[in-house]
Amino acid sequence: MLDQKRWRLGTAKAIRLLQLLFLSIALWFIYWSHIYEMTYWNKTLLETFQSNFPNVLVYSILIIAVISLEFQSKRRRRISMGPSSVKTREISMSTSSVKTLETLQKENEQLKYELQRSKKLPSNKIGIALLIIGALLLFASVITSSTILAFIGLGLTFWGALFLFARPTKFVRSQILDATAISSYITLDRIMDDLNYKGKPIYIPPYPKETYLPEHLRGLKEMVVFISAKDYTKIPAIEEMAKKQFLVKNPKGICITPPGSALVSLFEKELRSDFTKIDLDGLYNSLPTVIMNNLELASNFEIETEKELIHVKITDSVYKDLYSKEQKLKSVHSIGCPLTSAVACALAIITGKLVTITKSNISPDLKTVEVWYQTVEG
Amino acid sequence: MQFPLSMSDISLWIAVMAIILLVTSELIYSHSENFGDFAIDKTRLRLAALIFGASFMVTVLLRVIAPS
Repeated sequence: MLDQKRWRLGTAKAIRLLQLLFLSIALWFIYWSHIYEMTYWNKTLLETFQSNFPNVLVYSILIIAVISLEFQSKRRRRISMGPSSVKTREISMSTSSVKTLETLQKENEQLKYELQRSKKLPSNKIGIALLIIGALLLFASVITSSTILAFIGLGLTFWGALFLFARPTKFVRSQILDATAISSYITLDRIMDDLNYKGKPIYIPPYPKETYLPEHLRGLKEMVVFISAKDYTKIPAIEEMAKKQFLVKNPKGICITPPGSALVSLFEKELRSDFTKIDLDGLYNSLPTVIMNNLELASNFEIETEKELIHVKITDSVYKDLYSKEQKLKSVHSIGCPLTSAVACALAIITGKLVTITKSNISPDLKTVEVWYQTVEG
Repeated sequence: MQFPLSMSDISLWIAVMAIILLVTSELIYSHSENFGDFAIDKTRLRLAALIFGASFMVTVLLRVIAPS
């Protein structure tokens, strides 16, 4: 049974390869017989059709073959998924012993593995195959002095190289991002509730990376958020922050690493610049590009100064589900989601001032997130 | 043994490929999400398209400077 499944998967792959081959040959026939003649011999499309009638016939047959193979493969899939196969499986299940069940389980595992493999299948195998075939055809074209072979070889080499070059980077679904971020916010909520801390989180700017600091003050180079026990804007002493303490005594509160601190490093990496070296206008110009185009964290991002506050409007953020009422996360509104927190971190680094999130507004459909930041002199 | 394609052949081929790549990358670039199971490095695709476009311009320049 396992062999049968493997054979079926093998034939499906072979059909796909055949389709690809037929289609590429047909396309090259079209290219060669019409576009080439139209360009070099100034013929009209009708004239090229008339002079290349056998070619027209060949590529029509090839395209028909591609379409019929597609139908054939779909029908085969439907048949294999059809009720008869389910029925036979049911019968065998009812009459089988534990051994059959084990075999079925093994088969199930194998199929799962095959499915996973086919889903994960990167384009590098296809790329390498195309590249090799293309190179061989190019070599053959030199030996036989055939222009058709040269064009086919060039085309295959080109697509092979392109498949290898533009291979997808590792892709992670946004639900996974939420799932990994939620637990840390829940923990933060529990800590705040347990300690009964009601202060507003304050983003404290770090010292620039290249600044020399003695060993015992190295902790000051890290971005921290201070959450005080009561609502005041006093921040801990330098010595306390340098010790990288979690619980701070004077003033009473906690110091944590902001959820967006790693994201800020990624922004800097994408921009190939240090946030300490650019001004606020530079950030207003570059941040939307990094967030929307480079990292694709949101479909729209606007940042502007509104009186004494800095207003950020994010549309379709990848972290929008963190704000949903089902999650009931309190800290995400005060400290911000990883993206809004990263913006706060960037503002703190650039201005060298303390930054707080004064207000956040989320649309009912979670599509738009608006955040107002305030900079405070330390 | 000689490569069967002339400069004008290669130039035309590069032009066709550059157009295909530029149009594809332009169509893909406006989409911020992936297309189902299909994922591609859009930045690299755009880079390849631009390189092909530039190579076509180079071949045109060569033909202008030294027409054979």
